[in-house]
Amino acid sequence: MVTRTSERSANAERIRVIDAEAPPERLAALRIVVAGFVTAYLVIRAPVFLALRDRRESALDPIGVIHWLGAPWPDALVVALVVVVMLAGGAVTVGWRHRVSGPVFGVGLLLLTSYRSSWGQLLHFEHLMVLMVGVLAFAPASDAWSVDARRRESRDVPPPSRPATSYGWPIALCALIVVITYVITGIAKLRYGGVGWLDGDTLRNHIAYSAARLDVLGGTPAPFAELTVRSSWLLTPAAIATVVVELGAPIALLGGRWRTAWCLAAWLLHLGILATMLIGFPVPLFGVAFAPFFRLEIGAAWLRDRLGTVTSRWHRRVAAEP
Amino acid sequence: MSASASESGVGRTGRVLVTAAVVGALFLPVVLDRDGLPLSTYPMYSSARPAEVTLVTAYGLDEAGEQVTLSLGVIGRSDDPLVVAGELRSAVRADRADDRCEEIAGRAATAGSLDDSVVGIEIVSERYDVVDRVESSAAPLDRTVHATCPLDEGG
Repeated sequence: MVTRTSERSANAERIRVIDAEAPPERLAALRIVVAGFVTAYLVIRAPVFLALRDRRESALDPIGVIHWLGAPWPDALVVALVVVVMLAGGAVTVGWRHRVSGPVFGVGLLLLTSYRSSWGQLLHFEHLMVLMVGVLAFAPASDAWSVDARRRESRDVPPPSRPATSYGWPIALCALIVVITYVITGIAKLRYGGVGWLDGDTLRNHIAYSAARLDVLGGTPAPFAELTVRSSWLLTPAAIATVVVELGAPIALLGGRWRTAWCLAAWLLHLGILATMLIGFPVPLFGVAFAPFFRLEIGAAWLRDRLGTVTSRWHRRVAAEP
Repeated sequence: MSASASESGVGRTGRVLVTAAVVGALFLPVVLDRDGLPLSTYPMYSSARPAEVTLVTAYGLDEAGEQVTLSLGVIGRSDDPLVVAGELRSAVRADRADDRCEEIAGRAATAGSLDDSVVGIEIVSERYDVVDRVESSAAPLDRTVHATCPLDEGG
């Protein structure tokens, strides 16, 4: 009986991409997490994006949607794009005029990251940001927990009546994108590195390469680089575990313990990469990549209740003071 | 899926088509073996890297021609080693090392943290046994100088 109940529970959590259902609050929570994170990333990295104005034309190597570009953009355009994308990101985070701000954020982020990557170096952690924002930009993600929803309420306009798939499918699509991204990463290791990638020597050499590269570029190597390079017994299991986690990503779609175990394993993988190679993939490290797999609205409601309790206690204490 | 769509939402056929298109698009770079953004083969750290590797970097040079280590910010105007190394490698590959050297010299001339003894910049490829380098700070096995330029020329 217990087993059947567990099976039913697991089936309920399984992500059925096409027919996935969710309340509007879950999509809204994902919007806040993803757009808030990407906007913070843009603000923190603004100097890097603005420095693109000083690049020499000869270094331009355009890629992606701007592969046709023949010359660097004018400085004013770079500044305008950075500012517009940041503002749109803020608007999407709070859910202000999402029908306009969503597409502006999605398209603007794609253009900005494509331009930043058009000078000889792709940063592969930006891909997930662009893809997830691209989905949320065109989804009805501001039907709840948004300025748009507040404005509707204040005008006594009833909330949109959409089927639950309108909210569940975009979330499931984000989850599917994350899963496929990891699978492709695993495929790449076997395709470019061959089965030899699993023997540990390649992983040791990658870690040593990252440390040596930082050393000659005037940086500080990762804290566990030397220890890991010397610990040859650890490298083969770590290499196998890396590929298993990447190729095993589809189990996250099963939900329940499988999902939680995979998310934890993938997060630990990135933590290990950071500790041994000093390469941070911020989207998974901050948990944003795993957000589509969870019922975020439950956590958000709990947080709101806790904040409400703390606030009411504070009000009572202030009121009780003489 | 569009917020401007009717409130009935996207139909099942539409969801199937869009989902299939997204899955197809994500796997397209794998089929074509072409990296890009936002669609990628995610090739980072996937190659069978040998222990002997060539690293491209830039050093400051003092009057005696001795190397002085520069910072990431001076070499590449970024704190990200992937960006700094990738762009420097691209510049060398595209035969733009002289241009890059002048850029670095310009930044170095105004960098307050730079050693006063630095009078020039060089861009080099150095071949290392990276495992030996990490374990015992081994010297490069060989090196190639791509460009050298004086500090004040770019500054």
